Amino acid sequence: MTAHRPGAVAAAADGSRPASPHRLPCGSTCRVDLSRPLSFDFLGRPMTGFAGDTVASALYANGVRIFSRSLKYHRPRGLYSIEGESATTYMAIDGVPNECAETTELRAGMSVRAQNVRGDPKTDRFGFIGAFERLMPAGFYYRLGHRPYSLWPLFQNGLRRMAGTGVLDPRREYRPGVRAERYLNVDVAVVGGGTAGMEAALAAAERGLRVCVFERRPWMGGHHAWRVREFEGKPLWQRASELEARVRATENVRVLTRSPVTGVWGENLVTGFTVGGDDDPFRECHWECRARTVVVAAGCMDRPLVFNHNDRPGVMQPGAAWRLARTYGVSPGKVAVVSVGDDLGLEAAVDLTRLGVEVRAVVDSRRRGHDPALLEELYDLRIPFRSRWSASRAKGGKHVTGCDVWGMSGIGPNSYTCDLVVANAGAQPRIGVLATVKAKLGYCRHTHSYQPVELPDDVFVAGSMTGLRDPGSITESGRLAGLRAAAFCRRQGTALDARRIGRAEPAGEAGPSSPGDNCPPALSAAIEKATSTLASRPGPVAGTGIFRGQGIGRGAKAFVDLDEDGTYKNVVESAAQGFDAPELAKRFGGFGLGPGQYRVTGQNLAMIMAAMGLDSGKATVPAPTTVRPPLVPPSLATLAGPPHDVHKRTPLHDEQTARGAIFRRMGPWERARYFSEDPSCRDEILGVRRNVGLLDSSPLGKFRIFGPDALNALQRVYISDMRKARPGRCMYSAMCNDMGQLMDDGVVVKESENGYYFTTSSARAGTTVEWFRYHTRYDGWDYHLVNITDVLGSLNLAGPNARRVLERVTRDDVSNDAFPYMGVRRITVGDGVEVRCLRLGFVGELSFELHVPSSYCQYVWGLLVDAGADFGMQPIGLEAQNCLRAEKGHIIIGAESEQRVILTDIGMGWMWDRRDTASKKVGAPALRACAEQPGRMKLVGFRVDEGSGSHRGDLEAAPGAQPGGGPGDGAVIVADGEVVGYVCTTRRSETLGWRYGMALVREEHAARGAGLNIYENLGSGRKSTCSATVVAPHFYDPRGERLRA
Amino acid sequence: MSYLRLRRLWKPSPLKRRYEVVIIGGGIHGLATAYYLARHHGIRDVAVLESQYIGFGGSGRNTAIVRANQRTVENVRLYEEGLKLWRVLTDELDYNLMFFNCGVLGLGHSEASVSAFRMLCNTHNFLGVKSELLDPQQCAEMIPGLDISDRLAFPVQAGLYHPPGGVVRHDAVVWGLAKGASAHGVHIHQGCEVQGIDTEGGRVTGVRTTLGPIGCKRLGIMAGGYGGAVAAMLGMELPIHPLTIQAMVTHPLKPFLHHVFSSGAYHVYANQTLKGEIATGAHMDPQVNYTNDATAYYLKHQAEALTELIPALRGVRFMRIWAGLADMTPDMAPIMEGNLGYDGLFLDAGWGYFGFKSGPVAGKYMAEYMATDERPAMLRAFQLKRFLENRYSGETAAAMKYGHWD
Repeated sequence: MTAHRPGAVAAAADGSRPASPHRLPCGSTCRVDLSRPLSFDFLGRPMTGFAGDTVASALYANGVRIFSRSLKYHRPRGLYSIEGESATTYMAIDGVPNECAETTELRAGMSVRAQNVRGDPKTDRFGFIGAFERLMPAGFYYRLGHRPYSLWPLFQNGLRRMAGTGVLDPRREYRPGVRAERYLNVDVAVVGGGTAGMEAALAAAERGLRVCVFERRPWMGGHHAWRVREFEGKPLWQRASELEARVRATENVRVLTRSPVTGVWGENLVTGFTVGGDDDPFRECHWECRARTVVVAAGCMDRPLVFNHNDRPGVMQPGAAWRLARTYGVSPGKVAVVSVGDDLGLEAAVDLTRLGVEVRAVVDSRRRGHDPALLEELYDLRIPFRSRWSASRAKGGKHVTGCDVWGMSGIGPNSYTCDLVVANAGAQPRIGVLATVKAKLGYCRHTHSYQPVELPDDVFVAGSMTGLRDPGSITESGRLAGLRAAAFCRRQGTALDARRIGRAEPAGEAGPSSPGDNCPPALSAAIEKATSTLASRPGPVAGTGIFRGQGIGRGAKAFVDLDEDGTYKNVVESAAQGFDAPELAKRFGGFGLGPGQYRVTGQNLAMIMAAMGLDSGKATVPAPTTVRPPLVPPSLATLAGPPHDVHKRTPLHDEQTARGAIFRRMGPWERARYFSEDPSCRDEILGVRRNVGLLDSSPLGKFRIFGPDALNALQRVYISDMRKARPGRCMYSAMCNDMGQLMDDGVVVKESENGYYFTTSSARAGTTVEWFRYHTRYDGWDYHLVNITDVLGSLNLAGPNARRVLERVTRDDVSNDAFPYMGVRRITVGDGVEVRCLRLGFVGELSFELHVPSSYCQYVWGLLVDAGADFGMQPIGLEAQNCLRAEKGHIIIGAESEQRVILTDIGMGWMWDRRDTASKKVGAPALRACAEQPGRMKLVGFRVDEGSGSHRGDLEAAPGAQPGGGPGDGAVIVADGEVVGYVCTTRRSETLGWRYGMALVREEHAARGAGLNIYENLGSGRKSTCSATVVAPHFYDPRGERLRA
Repeated sequence: MSYLRLRRLWKPSPLKRRYEVVIIGGGIHGLATAYYLARHHGIRDVAVLESQYIGFGGSGRNTAIVRANQRTVENVRLYEEGLKLWRVLTDELDYNLMFFNCGVLGLGHSEASVSAFRMLCNTHNFLGVKSELLDPQQCAEMIPGLDISDRLAFPVQAGLYHPPGGVVRHDAVVWGLAKGASAHGVHIHQGCEVQGIDTEGGRVTGVRTTLGPIGCKRLGIMAGGYGGAVAAMLGMELPIHPLTIQAMVTHPLKPFLHHVFSSGAYHVYANQTLKGEIATGAHMDPQVNYTNDATAYYLKHQAEALTELIPALRGVRFMRIWAGLADMTPDMAPIMEGNLGYDGLFLDAGWGYFGFKSGPVAGKYMAEYMATDERPAMLRAFQLKRFLENRYSGETAAAMKYGHWD
């Protein structure tokens, strides 16, 4: 990373010629390596930048001044900020829209385009729109375009086309390359790697804590990194660089540079992302860092000065002009006028002069508080200086050609010719993190900034954002914050230890700011020392409450928000329409809703509104508008990270793949849905009905429950009398919720005195343990419940020949006498694999469900397939099972049940043990109240009346259509112009020779023999109707003889 | 030119000590009720009390999607009328609510959801509400860049397109209704938090607020996510769970997404606003709470879902995330009641995340209810007693879980 070592181009600074007319010899603070040129193109024009450049600095060095056109007025926009605070330099980089040129590092071969322009940004075709500014007052679109209403779509399409900036090609691949994600746990997360943040990191790390520092720039040091001013005999940049070396050498500090923080969320979850450098294995990495404490040392940024045409290319903030020169070695302009409101601005003016920019005049809106040393330097450099003056208007068309300045008392204007206006109203802290940790912020009348009034106990603030400017104070405040974080961790840790051994001890009685009792004396002493040192050093400097230049008139071209073209006049207009609080004006006028969000606009908007309130005698303290994360916009690609599709495969996945299974995702599982391209699964179904089939039902939920209160727990959650469960028998039962709705069904087997084995539906496997625990939470019962779904696979061997196949793989007696229907046995198959074998009949045939240890599943599958080969046994998929069970009238939860029906409505009331009140069965009170209630929906079976149907349009091509026509699942049942029910599942049965189905209908239509009108209309003229007759929902083998065979 | 004359949208008005009607909640429901009370029923002595600023709650935090493709007959009818009101209100209020009638496309990713879509489609068309079942190819034609391949964890199997739906500018609805209500004499008081409700002899008599007591004959609780909490002031425990629900927007882009789309399986719905941002909403946070806190989880979750469905969205960035409250009932249908426990007490709550699209129509019928004391036929399905009788509305197929079991 040579490019980012300060002084990398010291040689170039020593008199050798700069690389382009816009490059400056800026010496030790330079981060650009002029020995490593990088070519790129802008609008097809080849250009050259250097390693260490950002796209913006490289463009600027190549003479580009207009970077984009503004959203509403298509005004030319240039480099205004330098760290992405506003969207003026959002560009399309390598086709990716809305990339911030100010923060994107230049790479060889980049292709850069301007946005929101037709053609070249210099000659944008829509540039004329700004002339109609008068016709577009704040919120104008709410009052336009709807009269007559028929014109609105036209106006709307026009609005849509004009809005938006970047262009996304929906068919392109964006941001290829590795996106990593990492999860950290630290004691102290430091937001901001300036000198305060670094000092905090060192202080905490020296006390053995794990620290992580997030720094958005590629290097550390904050604003000291580009300042050449000396402090205690050393230039600030050198002091910062030495500190960085110490931090990087400290073992338990993890330094993340190029890593903006996107937010600090609940429980101190710090999120951010790292933009990968050349050495990183990823393009970008998403971080989630759980921190016990957070030190916020995010620093300051310029607060814009609102004056006319303050958006002209050539107007920039001091931070931008200064860093362009000092960090990137690019000359911001030849002749400058500087209008500032803080000492850093003055220092920038002095430094720019030293670097060869001719500064015509420096004005400062403050009355007092200037650093006398800086004024002296200005005097020595013979730069005219006025205090209580400020810029009022930037002149020029597509670039600044001059600037008017006014005295705050109303004298003026003085006009200057210049090609650069450096302006700010003052500094404002980067409060984003403080807002997201829910610090209570208040307006500080000394620093004229938002400062934390109340902080969470585990959050500490340090550095220039507190208003400190003295480098010694800044580092000392960092040190203090680090020590306090260490004390907090220490105190919390000790309290936790105490709780663990049963001696709960109230933590932090001494209050958040005091180290408390658990703090070791050395740490307490260090905190005391740091506190007194800080107190002895210069404190926060006075700020200014000024936000606009004098003499701006209505401020029709004075921009408060550059992103959305919100002017001072628009703020006034918003207030005039009743939006007289910052939060309302923000929404109405769109201030701070663009890409820059609150960052540039937030404080100024509040200050303007407060000043207006002053005029009309209302509230006068600027109220902060809500700060919303992400604090820096992360890309969706990076947030999404690497592919996450975690899905489960059954132990028999490969076997089924080999047999041509077509898989579908069902919940967490990948399951074989079909074994042929025929969606009706005719062969699979007939195979089971006439011969034998093999189904992988491994996702079935499987559980063991044991312990003295196991039966109590079963009695609570199952609706039947579970005392009837006995060894060797499967007991079928169901679980309801408190409303009596069916939640789950399965079988329960008593395996020992206090031990049971039970199954649940696949969908419920994941929630069953919690369900049991929740519904027995007050009882203190002693039972263990183990989810063994993944431990056991399940193979369902079904069909009239099932027994004959099974007999070939086991010596155990599986005859009907020895092993009757609903029996359960442990049998040994093949070379001694013991399996649970359950004789169930979900698909309506003789069937054996083998629950096999997962690691033996493939073996057992192989045994069965070999044994079944002589019979022509075929594997079947889920859809075949779905048809088979429907023919039998067995329901699937969610398909034949919903929240309007309870257990008794769907014909399953027979399971409910009505007499039992002692067990407090879940759902029993609701069932008791509603079982006889009239007017409920009921589940019915129906048989479609042969030849009754009529249909129009291509219904069979629609998704979910039935092969062979006829109504499909989801057809509605109608009567007298009302929808009275709907079809849950319907199929044409090859075995029965007619179309059957199950439906949920209102009770008055549910009587056996009643007629149903079935209606389908899938749009585009696809319609069908038919009639059906209500029958018992047991279509196939109603007496169950085949199950018991 | 009157267009250039800027006037206050709603007048500041003196706080009277008594009103005929007091409405708690300056969101869409409260303002719409006030507007219709004044406009349709001549009851102009109305105050709308808002603890923050109008539109602070769900009204200003939703993703502004409007549609009528509900599951049950009673809901389809209500929302269908709601859809027709946007245009009417735009005219009546002379305020552009910016109804973007772009249609709403739901994506189905399983056989079960295809069946569910077929049921919805049949229901809507039977009731005369346009709805169309699409195959994956047709979905891809409507949503450019939609991945309908098998690469998805849950490949698209069908779409349900609902042409009458779209997007409305949510803030404009709040402000437009405030404008209309104010023009008819309604008083809107912002920064006025209700702290208690006074009753006497089985009648509501007034409210206690941070600005002092205010008397009234009729009281409407239309406090959105806080409805349950306000009702609790009278000792009423409603079957409402407030849950946080989050939404976010990307940087603005030139228009390429011309319809609202949603996917239940991926817990995502999205549309491109008139400003060009992709606005997307997520599922609710599982914990019952009254905060408006956004979480890092949903930022990531939405990115995962959106980039899987439309891979080109890897090229955009999220700009802002926010959260609001959804007042969820167990069956996802609202509670609209009159003279509930006390004479003169009206309740309009439990809208969950359907509160925006229903605002004006709910206000219209609540106003009728409050003015006449007679339950409009349209509201018969939304009574509180359905929970006591265990007769849930079938708005969702599966029983919903909020926070804890049941």
